Amino acid sequence: MEFEELMKDLEERKAKAQGMGGPEKLAKRKAEGVLNARERLDYLVDDGSFIESGLFATAIRSEVRHKSPADGKIAGVGRINDREVAIVSNDFTVLGATSSVINMKKIRHMKKISIQRGIPLILLGESSGARMPDRMGAAGRATMGQDPTEYMRMREAPMVSALLGACYGSSTWYTCMSDFTVMRKGATMAVASSRVTSIAINQLVDPEELGGWKLHTEITGFVDVVVNTDEEALEIIKDFLSYLPGNSNEAPPVYPVPLESNERSEKILEIFPEQKNQVYDVRDIIKCIVDQNSFFEIKQRFGKSIVTSFARLNGKSVGIIANNPKFKGGAIDVDAMRKATSFLVMCDSYNIPLVFLADQPGFLVGVAGEKQGAPGRLINWLNALTLCTVPKILVIMRKDYGQAYLNMGGGQNSDEVILWPMADLGFMDPSVGVNVLYKVTEKDDPVRFKQLQDELARDTSAWDLAGLYEGHMVIDPRQTRATLIRLLEIYRKGMNNGVGKHLVQNWPTSY
Amino acid sequence: MALIEVKAETTGMVWKINVRQGDRVSEDGTLMTLESMKMEVPTLAPEDGTVKEIMVKEGDPISEGDVIIILEV
Repeated sequence: MEFEELMKDLEERKAKAQGMGGPEKLAKRKAEGVLNARERLDYLVDDGSFIESGLFATAIRSEVRHKSPADGKIAGVGRINDREVAIVSNDFTVLGATSSVINMKKIRHMKKISIQRGIPLILLGESSGARMPDRMGAAGRATMGQDPTEYMRMREAPMVSALLGACYGSSTWYTCMSDFTVMRKGATMAVASSRVTSIAINQLVDPEELGGWKLHTEITGFVDVVVNTDEEALEIIKDFLSYLPGNSNEAPPVYPVPLESNERSEKILEIFPEQKNQVYDVRDIIKCIVDQNSFFEIKQRFGKSIVTSFARLNGKSVGIIANNPKFKGGAIDVDAMRKATSFLVMCDSYNIPLVFLADQPGFLVGVAGEKQGAPGRLINWLNALTLCTVPKILVIMRKDYGQAYLNMGGGQNSDEVILWPMADLGFMDPSVGVNVLYKVTEKDDPVRFKQLQDELARDTSAWDLAGLYEGHMVIDPRQTRATLIRLLEIYRKGMNNGVGKHLVQNWPTSY
Repeated sequence: MALIEVKAETTGMVWKINVRQGDRVSEDGTLMTLESMKMEVPTLAPEDGTVKEIMVKEGDPISEGDVIIILEV
């Protein structure tokens, strides 16, 4: 073949492969308002930055080679806001983006680039599970896996997953290995599809019940953010990555500070209730402290008595773990424990300093929590906390009771302890303590109850803890932002330029 | 239209009921306030909807998981 013909052949092959599953299937998706795999890629990466790997890869079996462009998983490297990322975008129009012998090689190659070159890996999920003909019989077993490190996660570089349709098989496994997952409403994620599951258990299974957004944002906690459209999901990925370094050997990027960021500090005392029994939404307080519009909440609908969020202080990323009295009075339940632990592990792995905002009455005790393994979950959290080597700063806003005092960074579990004058320290609320310690109730003996309650309420103030030098400073809450910024300037310094030891980088990716 | 059960998040006592039967409520709007752990803990609407039935009255002791309101969504 002459060169000219050869080049023409190349262009024709390219066009055919880029045509995905054909105009009919693509038109159907368009009508449903869903982006196709290449549109998603285009939306995500900077213009002209994508370099594709494996455009001419096809199914391994000859009978489907002609209808398996890119073998259903489009892979390559591009840039998001000028930062390199490796990407796999599942193309559902090609054999349902089923996981096959060849396209799993593509995923493994992208994962290898991510780890070895230190750039995030992004997986845009929509796949119907294993490609059954590839997997049947002994030959199917013998070609499966072929890489003992495939499901090994060491958090060398961030891994991000988007659930953008029916996600079974590889899309599910990689989501559960990821640091962060965004889901579009209407997408589903489960071990096997509702059809396979229905056949296996001989019962009709509803896909939404099996793996819809409510399940994964409220019950399993696998999904960090839920959105309505593909475009929103892709924007969320960009936002998420803006808080993280490209890999665990770098400090996170620094952004300009919006001019109005210092103004909201003044509002703290307007939002924070003067009455001890009144609740508030701690997210309103966080927004008064951090750079304007930098609050990025993770797992908003899961374990709601703890808020986990990224934010920036003076342009630099921080991870915030805050009790939220608005939900369960701030009592920490098992979901909140799991949420806090996974967030700690993520922040420590990517060199993001931690800020704790404490106002909690203790762990939520009860039979339900014990059945969920509360003691194990809270010790996991404490173990992770003690292994974290990023800077840790605790702000005790109000009550900080019980064993949970340690989980929230008390008792030398953080580098600096800032107290607000409203801080209330003790093992439990004095009025509960009277009954527990002395078996006296308000109803039975109001005079004695009051006397004992006053006794227990002694020595529980910010001044008492500061007097013992367990609190390093007592500040006007409106000075919290300035104080944190100054302390972090000091704590980010060191021989390692803000890079920690990563003692939890191989911890599980779900709890 | 579907009916959903709003359950108590914590064990405690019904302190104040903030809605009446037939009221329209928005997601995260306060349905009632429970007294629990010496705090006034709000129970919030999980979705936009209409209050179909209130299952408790002020002063009632309640346990975590008790159905306290039925919402039509």
